Amino acid sequence: KKLKTLCLSLQAKMSRPVHSRRLEGVDKNIWVEFVKLAATYSTVNLGQGFPDFPPPDFLKEALMTALSGENHMLHQYTRAFGHPPLVKILAQFFGKLLGQDLDPMTNVMVTVGAYQALFCCFQAFVDEGDEVIIIEPFFDCYEPMVTMAGGTPVFVPLRPKAPENGKMMSSADWKLDSAELASKFNERTKAIVLNSPNNPLGKVFSQEELELIADLCVKHDVLCISDEVYEWLVYDGKEHIRIASLPGMWDRTVIIGSAGKTFSVTGWKVGWTVGPNRLLQHIRTMHQNSVYHCATVAQEAVAQGFQREFMLYGKPDSYFVQLPKELQKKRDCLVQSLDAAGMKPIIPEGTYFLLADISNFKSDVPDNPNSDEPYDSRFAKWMVKNKGLAAIPLSAFYCTAHKNNYSHFIRFCFAKEEATLKAASDILQKWKQEKTSP
Amino acid sequence: VEFTKVAADPSIVNLGQGLPDISPPNYVKEELAKASAIDRLNQYTRGFGHPSLVKALSQVYERVCGRKIDPLTDILVTVGAYGSLFSTIQALIEEGDEVIIIEPFYDCYEPMVKMAGAKPVFIPLRYKNDGNSASSADWVLDPAELANKFNSKTKAIILNTPHNPIGKVFTREELQVIADLCIKHDTLCISDEVYEWLVYKGKQHIKIATLPGMWERTITIGSAGKTYSVTGWKLGWSIGPQNLIKHLQVVHQNTLYTCPTPLQEALAQAFWIDYKRMDDPDCYFYSLSRELESKRDRMAQLLQDAGLKPVVPDGGYFMIVDVSTLNVDLSDVDAKQPYDYRFVKWMITSKKLSAIPLSAFCGPETKRQFEKYIRFCFIKKDSTLDAAEVILKNWNKQTV
Repeated sequence: KKLKTLCLSLQAKMSRPVHSRRLEGVDKNIWVEFVKLAATYSTVNLGQGFPDFPPPDFLKEALMTALSGENHMLHQYTRAFGHPPLVKILAQFFGKLLGQDLDPMTNVMVTVGAYQALFCCFQAFVDEGDEVIIIEPFFDCYEPMVTMAGGTPVFVPLRPKAPENGKMMSSADWKLDSAELASKFNERTKAIVLNSPNNPLGKVFSQEELELIADLCVKHDVLCISDEVYEWLVYDGKEHIRIASLPGMWDRTVIIGSAGKTFSVTGWKVGWTVGPNRLLQHIRTMHQNSVYHCATVAQEAVAQGFQREFMLYGKPDSYFVQLPKELQKKRDCLVQSLDAAGMKPIIPEGTYFLLADISNFKSDVPDNPNSDEPYDSRFAKWMVKNKGLAAIPLSAFYCTAHKNNYSHFIRFCFAKEEATLKAASDILQKWKQEKTSP
Repeated sequence: VEFTKVAADPSIVNLGQGLPDISPPNYVKEELAKASAIDRLNQYTRGFGHPSLVKALSQVYERVCGRKIDPLTDILVTVGAYGSLFSTIQALIEEGDEVIIIEPFYDCYEPMVKMAGAKPVFIPLRYKNDGNSASSADWVLDPAELANKFNSKTKAIILNTPHNPIGKVFTREELQVIADLCIKHDTLCISDEVYEWLVYKGKQHIKIATLPGMWERTITIGSAGKTYSVTGWKLGWSIGPQNLIKHLQVVHQNTLYTCPTPLQEALAQAFWIDYKRMDDPDCYFYSLSRELESKRDRMAQLLQDAGLKPVVPDGGYFMIVDVSTLNVDLSDVDAKQPYDYRFVKWMITSKKLSAIPLSAFCGPETKRQFEKYIRFCFIKKDSTLDAAEVILKNWNKQTV
């Protein structure tokens, strides 16, 4: 018997290839690497997109109330497709904004962050042979998610046009070429992913731009996956327009939202999808076979948060009014620091990110023709290790083939306390002085 | 999903869905309040698992398994054990594969395997005794039948011990039979052990990953929901060798990326509290099963008093019972459905008591074999069991 056990042990190791083929090509992830670098080296972290200021008091109180209440059933499963109080207020809130009568049970579904909503959409709608149009630069998960679903990502770039008179570039200066966009649509096109306001650029798509996209979707009978997680973060009096409210679009659009971005609680991982039942039914199927339920107590608190915002909508006390006001100031502060230091910022119309052109700092990180790695990635790594300032290379937001198209931009997150932004400014100033002094 | 809707009616005594209506321990709730009050714990944490949680899990399971477990490479934190099952199956299973599923099975295994493009191959537990008192130990796999299910296409077998819905706790010998076949056919083992702490007197939960030759080929899945009576926290974990876990991590980074932070921190703190008293009988890992054992015995007694023959479980918090002996007239209920579905629908409407039909847990070939059984959940507070008692005692009286 002992000999038999020994023999079995020797055969013990799995000898055949173990992982499924759907993982091919989706194993790399920029965040795993860059989050680790920031954790190890950074003194000022403007890299990964999360606020370092506290969540709003009313939301923290809502969570505490939920936890301290008599109802311990908030620690047990709730409705799989979304905690009833949350889906009800989301239906009310977004119904009003969209001018649609929304059924909380069929037009809304809660997910584990907007990330899981995206996953459910791609899995629900994309099959082998389908093409999905992705506008570059893009939040990096879209590509591997389309690939994992068996689909083919088709990329179309936003192209920058230099502003006149030496003005600072704005995210509005990056546009789609309408003929180029139209050429990407064909009979295999299943969906287009729209992200407005756009991460990493900060672009807020205009009415005309959205109409261009909508016309093509309607013409080619294509779905629109509309990632609107930064919907409240728009500046300079700009308006976030929901593509689902354009003619012909409600029926073919899934809108994705995020409590993490809406209420500055990225760690709660509460997101949602809103759309017609004919689309949500498939998202529900995907959800019930992957995650099934989302955590209850955070949903309860987010529902309370939305109730408050529903009452205060448009009023000065609304968090959706205050947060963008605060963030606009922080944006302007960082823009100024970068400009003063010689990094050229692109002023974002929305989100809490901005891109900066680091061309003036290239001497610190020489080109390496032997390296496969895009320049901006090497730059960002050098910067965090040597200057303690963490940022994300723009190439992270492009497909492999296009990673070197814009290789001298890095992305900063400015959802940070004044002290953090000041510390960033100090690093940049010191760095500039080191470059200019003999 | 069907049955939770029906049983959401508060006038119905809900012994159906597997969720506790008892409170989680106070210190668990307190840790969540404490964690939520820390601002940075409301933002993203490490994708594959919050550092303090994976550290705590590695300590607890190193002790249980008697081997070193690296918190960063051998563990993935997921959205419930459900999320672990999904990540494991998506990572390791694909078209062309066969996956052995033991019936009755937790109902998500089949659709998850199918969604991965693979073929589920079913093998039933069979009731071997004919005596008066039935125990979950009487339900066994036929070793020859099991061996026959393995072939060169078999990628994995899904094991669930303690077992939902029967409550069977697989013995070392039974696990060895499975292990031998896994090694012989170079197969993976996906071991769903969410009820690992809920094992009753005289029984021991054994981790198949600790058998010789098995660590390399096993993913062991656990659940905070079942460990701490917090199903609504939806936190679970997969533990295994780095060369397998790394693939689950790839799935995770492409599906939801990270799990909620304050819940993970609170869970880590709760684990530290109980890790420190793992030699103490007051440790929640042991005290919960003691509490549940008396509820189990009470549930069994109530069912016996109503003239039924429950299968007394060695583990878990479910109990199955053959209801065909009651000979209830179900002619009014949807004739197209299996017997147990019809019985449960009738029982919900006319007796205001809910349970889950067992054919929900079976493949198509075996539904006939299990359609006389329904499943009760007994992780319920005394007042719920009291209400169930009233219904069961009055069972034979006419319904109004």
